[in-house]
Amino acid sequence: MLSEAAPPTVKLFFREAITRALREEMRRDARVILLGQDVGSYGGSYKEFVGLYQEFGPTRVRNTPVAEAAMIGLGVGAAAAGMRPLVSITYMDFLMLGLDPLVNYAAKARYKTGGQILAPVVVKTTAGAKGQGVAHSQCIEAWLMGVPGLKVVAPSTPADAYGMLKSALRESGPVVFIDHKRLFPTAGEVPVSEETVSIGKAIIRRRGRHVTIVTHSYMTRVAQEAADLVAAEGIACEIVDLRTLAPLDMATICDSLARTGALVTLEEGQLACGVGAEVAFRARERLGTLRVTRIGPLEAPVSSNPVLERACLPDAERVAHSIRRTLAA
Amino acid sequence: MIYKLTVPGPIEDVEEVRVLEWHGAAGRRFAPGELIVELETHKAIVEVRAGQPGVLRRILCGPGDWQALGAPLALLSDDAGERLPDTMDELASWPVDFEIV
Repeated sequence: MLSEAAPPTVKLFFREAITRALREEMRRDARVILLGQDVGSYGGSYKEFVGLYQEFGPTRVRNTPVAEAAMIGLGVGAAAAGMRPLVSITYMDFLMLGLDPLVNYAAKARYKTGGQILAPVVVKTTAGAKGQGVAHSQCIEAWLMGVPGLKVVAPSTPADAYGMLKSALRESGPVVFIDHKRLFPTAGEVPVSEETVSIGKAIIRRRGRHVTIVTHSYMTRVAQEAADLVAAEGIACEIVDLRTLAPLDMATICDSLARTGALVTLEEGQLACGVGAEVAFRARERLGTLRVTRIGPLEAPVSSNPVLERACLPDAERVAHSIRRTLAA
Repeated sequence: MIYKLTVPGPIEDVEEVRVLEWHGAAGRRFAPGELIVELETHKAIVEVRAGQPGVLRRILCGPGDWQALGAPLALLSDDAGERLPDTMDELASWPVDFEIV
């Protein structure tokens, strides 16, 4: 049997994975343009667009005013006219201002016109709590999961950010690409050669036979820490990193649950009508009886006070506690 | 005396850095305040400057290499001819840090 060597990788900061994906796609396809606040010579709020303005110029890399509805509206219109815009909405909280063009126009264009008008726009935005208070901390990805025609991705590693942003920029319809403030300090191995990561495929980050933790984005790292904590007690966690929230990869989730029989969902966004609620209900529809626990933040706005912020969010200790309780039930 | 130059810290949110550029090769003498090496975090360049006089003797992490906070980057000495430690094991527990600013 031939053994395949692992493909060569290079270690990149999370932001560099995003820059690289965008640079490659902009070189590959002249229709790809970038719109957003401070995306030009400043290089993006997280330096994730550094060098793009210098390479592609002011026609393809455009600074916008602080006007999210207009930014996404422009992006959707440009997409309908044949471009492939990436609209950067710095904080996910302000995606709310642009939901009308995104939901009522971009997600509907294909259906409304019998496929004559497509809106291949990517809205990239940064979610999560990191010391910035009630209106700069939210994770509202679950709101977007119920919009037919909209794809939603939330990678947790530089490799996935790279591969999935490339895939998103090649889609025929709108994609919301969600990263996280606490992922930007991280670094990870990314393939040296140009590769994409398919949208719609979850990945198993850790194998274990006792319980399946289904999570996404930054909480994947918290799940790993919790899994390390309970591993010392003999509990083997399997971690499913969803990567794509719409459409959900129920095959990978249910495959894991068929082996473990216990589900813990973990998210930073609110639990009511959240990602975990949807995953758990769909899993029960398919598998019948299942031990389920959802873990999320407190039902409260996230404070900018670091002590109160920590108190609000799920951490490894709390996740470990929920795992133990689920398995003891 | 032989000194170990380490990645300075703590830096908020940062666990490891990437070496961007060395300002001089082995054998260069640094005066206090002179820039020795630049390190990259996810959002900033960290300038590591000499806090004492010393000769750069051996670079342990080249440009593009990643290193954890507190881990060694290079060896320096007071004089250019002093004998360096033979093994990395010896280096790992090397007691004297090169002063930086």
